Amino acid sequence: MHLPHSTLKQEFVKKWIMGLQRCKFSNNNMSIFERKKAIKLSADTAMASARKGLTCWSRALISNPDRPVPTTTRRASLACKKIVKRSRRIRRTAKCGAARKRQITRSIAQCLVRKRTQILKSLIPGGEFMNEVCLIEETLDYITSLRVQVDVMRSLASASVRASEPHN
Amino acid sequence: MSSRGLRSRQSSGVSRIRDDQITDLVSKLQLLIPQLRRGRSHKVSASKVLQETRNYIRSLHREVEDLSHRLSELLASTDIDNDQAAIIRSLLM
Repeated sequence: MHLPHSTLKQEFVKKWIMGLQRCKFSNNNMSIFERKKAIKLSADTAMASARKGLTCWSRALISNPDRPVPTTTRRASLACKKIVKRSRRIRRTAKCGAARKRQITRSIAQCLVRKRTQILKSLIPGGEFMNEVCLIEETLDYITSLRVQVDVMRSLASASVRASEPHN
Repeated sequence: MSSRGLRSRQSSGVSRIRDDQITDLVSKLQLLIPQLRRGRSHKVSASKVLQETRNYIRSLHREVEDLSHRLSELLASTDIDNDQAAIIRSLLM
């Protein structure tokens, strides 16, 4: 399912240019904010459709491109701090046997992983519907796609700057 | 009851498989995150990897926002026609 960077890039470029062509930038009634939204929307749609429906995040992004990205939930970070404090307290009481200690440390580690995975749910499109394993798989794919998106957008931005510079 | 014992053994077996899957996936994540790749050959905890993943995704999101803004200024007065589209495509591929 994982595509090489170059294939993904070609798909993204093709679809993004198509999307950008549909934007009528010379329409003077568009504010800079509206233009930015249009550009981002076309970039996100291109990034998602480059995956051709093979991943959950891409289908979720296409069906809901304007979702707000929430920040960390305070509850999750507070819960993490409590867990770490508790683990420090447990290590200090040397009364637990070694095996029990290992079990506690292991379950605390699992708990931390679970909390951190919850945070990923809010960052990956459609993440709230995924179990832990699916979430991390989707995260891997989402990150590779995001990198392609940033790479191409950066190239276009620097090419546009070069094109607008006066020739000496 | 013996069935209860079997069920709990089965569920712990399933959760062990799941933990292994997660460990495997987290190690793949570690390879993707630039913060964690720089010369670090020793193991990083899964929790740390997920933390850095979150930070990395957020920074990528911010970059996309920033680039969208810059492009909205650069592409202010140009509609892209078919010829320009072909040029841009060849530039970016």
